[in-house]
Amino acid sequence: MNKPRKIASSALLVICSLVWLSPIYIIFTNSFKSREEMYANAMALPETFSLRYYLDAMNRLDFLGAFKNSLILTVVSVALLIVFCSMAGWMIARSNGKVSRVIYAVLILTMLIPFQTLMMPLMQEMNSITKATGLQMKDTLGGLIFMYLGFGAGMGIFLCYGFVKGSLPKSLEEAATIDGCNTWQLFWHIVFPTMKPVLVTLSILDVIWIWNDYLLPSLTLKSKINQTIPIGTQMFFGQYTIEWNLAMAALMLTIIPVIIFYLCAQKYIVKGVAAGAVKG
Amino acid sequence: MKKFLALVLALVMALSLVACGKTAPTEEGSANKITIFQQKAEIAEQLQAMAAAYTAETGVEVEVWAQAGDDYYTNLKTSLSSESGPVVFTLNSDAEITEVKDYLADLSGLSFIGDIDSTLVASRDGKTVGIPMTAEGFGLVYNADLVDPAALTDMDALIAMMKENGKELTTLGLSQESYFLAGHMFNFPFALQSDPKDFCQKVFSGEVKLADVPEFQQYANLLAAIREYQVNPVEVTYDNNCGDFATGKTAMIHQGNWAYGMFADYDVNFDMGITGLPINGNSKICVGIPSVWCVNADASEEEQALAMDFLNWLYTSETGVDYLMNQFGFIPVVAGMTSDNMDPLSAAVAEACATGNVLPWTFNTEWPAGIIDVKLAPITEQFFTTDMSTAEYLEAINAAFVG
Amino acid sequence: MKLKRSWYVLFVAPILIPFLLTVIVPFFRGIGFSFVQWNGMSKTPKVFVGLQNFADIFHDGRFMTSMGRTALFTLITVVLVNVIAIAFSVWVTSEIKFRSPGRAMLFMPYLIGGLILGYVWKYVLGQGMTLLAANTGNESLFFNWLSNPKYAFLAMIVVTTWQMAGYMMVIYISGLEAISTDVLEAGRVDGATGWQEFLHIKLPLLMPSITICLFLTLSNCFKIYDVNVSLTGGGPANSTEMISLNIYNEIFSQSNFGLGQAKAIVFFFIVAIITFIQVRVTSSKEVEI
Repeated sequence: MNKPRKIASSALLVICSLVWLSPIYIIFTNSFKSREEMYANAMALPETFSLRYYLDAMNRLDFLGAFKNSLILTVVSVALLIVFCSMAGWMIARSNGKVSRVIYAVLILTMLIPFQTLMMPLMQEMNSITKATGLQMKDTLGGLIFMYLGFGAGMGIFLCYGFVKGSLPKSLEEAATIDGCNTWQLFWHIVFPTMKPVLVTLSILDVIWIWNDYLLPSLTLKSKINQTIPIGTQMFFGQYTIEWNLAMAALMLTIIPVIIFYLCAQKYIVKGVAAGAVKG
Repeated sequence: MKKFLALVLALVMALSLVACGKTAPTEEGSANKITIFQQKAEIAEQLQAMAAAYTAETGVEVEVWAQAGDDYYTNLKTSLSSESGPVVFTLNSDAEITEVKDYLADLSGLSFIGDIDSTLVASRDGKTVGIPMTAEGFGLVYNADLVDPAALTDMDALIAMMKENGKELTTLGLSQESYFLAGHMFNFPFALQSDPKDFCQKVFSGEVKLADVPEFQQYANLLAAIREYQVNPVEVTYDNNCGDFATGKTAMIHQGNWAYGMFADYDVNFDMGITGLPINGNSKICVGIPSVWCVNADASEEEQALAMDFLNWLYTSETGVDYLMNQFGFIPVVAGMTSDNMDPLSAAVAEACATGNVLPWTFNTEWPAGIIDVKLAPITEQFFTTDMSTAEYLEAINAAFVG
Repeated sequence: MKLKRSWYVLFVAPILIPFLLTVIVPFFRGIGFSFVQWNGMSKTPKVFVGLQNFADIFHDGRFMTSMGRTALFTLITVVLVNVIAIAFSVWVTSEIKFRSPGRAMLFMPYLIGGLILGYVWKYVLGQGMTLLAANTGNESLFFNWLSNPKYAFLAMIVVTTWQMAGYMMVIYISGLEAISTDVLEAGRVDGATGWQEFLHIKLPLLMPSITICLFLTLSNCFKIYDVNVSLTGGGPANSTEMISLNIYNEIFSQSNFGLGQAKAIVFFFIVAIITFIQVRVTSSKEVEI
């Protein structure tokens, strides 16, 4: 690309991004306004940029506690999903048997089930598990992590399977097997590192999903000590009205960590690709 | 081989469940703790403070579950149905009480039960199952500087006022939320029948056609006038509805005493009051019990006993009553309980209660569950956004009740 | 062979066990409920009605309309989302400045949960629009979209596209990054222009990502719920009620648990067939490496 075109394209991108993000302007500005000020003009800039609604929201949310829970939940679930889905996705993609095809098809199909229809049977099933094993499934972070593994399986394996089929040269694995690697070593030393780009993508998508998820945690996590940020934020949503300033402040606090995560992770996508491109 | 397989399976189970055991609370320690689940977001913070106060006074831990907003009832049903319900919870209509009646403990042992008007207490199959939280009333909330309620002699007077004020000053503002659009105000023509309960049954069975009843004709004419002379209610949110009123752009809104909290942020410099929808010259407002406290019959006996102690404390102890009246701002429902800290709208509702100038809430006690959200609101939206005739409107509403 | 099988189990079981317990078993439990009349409360007896619930579905005009509407919505949104996402991803992987913050900004809508996003857009398309109309005097362009059935439907499409395009962009980006530079350079040596390069090199190599994204957008659009509830609530007059909301209302607002489950199953099979065809068609176009 020549220079003027490059500059024009860059400028256009900036403008386009800003237009794209304009609705977020409303979230941002209204996190500084009182109800009266918002009524008067929701689109205008706030009179003052005081952080009082942020502090207020943090207080009422018990932000540190909720943040800690959200963090544990997200990190552990995503880490397990990455490991388990890459293992299963690779194995299923590489063995073309009937079992694999059935498992794959079932995993994909279940991504089409609307969650609302599973809510009640799922909670009953969790009771049965608790009764059968004595493990507390509800109102524990561990139980919820277990459920996230189940609900994240479809998407995780779907992406990993696609990557293995599409972009992972078989020759690489054959060479390693000849060198005397067993399946375990083969996976961890050769396959897993090569899968980095898709795993980073998967982790971004899973982090956002779990970090923001409201419905599933609201069904299982009841105790105050287990509250996550999205559950806490619900406090600002009344039956007919929203405490916009507090809700928007809480929302800003919720999305900032994910933005930081995304900015860090996307550099990794490029690096991962570069590393994977080295010929095996 | 089989052994290996079993080992792998066991390992995997252990691995994926290892986190579960870590955070699992101890089961047996629950006898000194009760859980509360309720829907009113506006008292969430005060409720937490009350829980702390109760623990300080009695040593019993009270845990208030996180808010569930609009999903409250779904969430409650799911948890009750999967044996993990809260100990104390609230229900919001007769239809809900009937639906979960098998899970409700008998509350007739409460010490203050005799002090509550028996019509306000919820009972099923001869058991007392629900204790009223507060009373709420709704009607035309008016700005006393702009409207003289005595001038609202009948519906024609109201409609004439709309014509006269034109679009400069909204005479009667409605808003888009389904209960505000097609629930509360639509209660008036039902409640004004001589025997509302019997009338509702006749409507549901198809014996009575709404289009033949004069109160409903008047109501439909009012909606037609609103469509013609006022801002389209479908375009107005509750927030703006209240904002317009607080800033004097609207003379009247159809709301209840709950709306007063919305005015807190505004500098309201006029007197307000609340009056009935003037069908046949009516001036009574509709007052009812928006929600009742219930105790989970599936909770352990110890927990149920603790829940009863808690309710007794809330309704009879000095601290408890202070929370109900002053912190939550509730309207007294127990004889002898008074509040001198009421906002003007609540005071008007309490006054109407005391003098018996009230109409019942048929939408909460008679109408089928979910009908407002799923059927009545969509039909009313259609009325306001198309040129549907009043006869067609009543026809469609009638079909919704019968179907 | 035996050894191979145990490796298989070791690799697949850790994710399959939670999956079976949290998705498959509850799903079959749900199927069981579709043959009974029940309000969803464990203590209320379930009355076995056989296939009655399924028969009732076909007399439920509101459900059938909602089904057609969801299909139309999905068709339009899937195309829009993917076209925009591919355009974005090609753009932000080209060698320009600000591409990194650009990516983050285009992706940002997806970071906001569907519920809150719906409320914010409700504000923009409702009051925001009326405000603009008052300020500009242009009432043919600026008016409350959400009180007009056609525009409310359009609003659903706009908001969903806005939310999902950035999401799909991320997947396309990783697909584009995976294309080896050798291939692109070879193309450039042969004198391919930017457009030719996109059409003849990038697009065919992007087919696996397209398969994935089409599937994800299809299933997300068919299942759309959050945005539906918060943006339009299904209104005005049910004109934007999508399938998930219809099922939710049946199960939880009207307490017809059995009928709601039956609807969910019918819906599931229809969507499954459609997506199966889609995956078959697009993956046949994939290039094997």
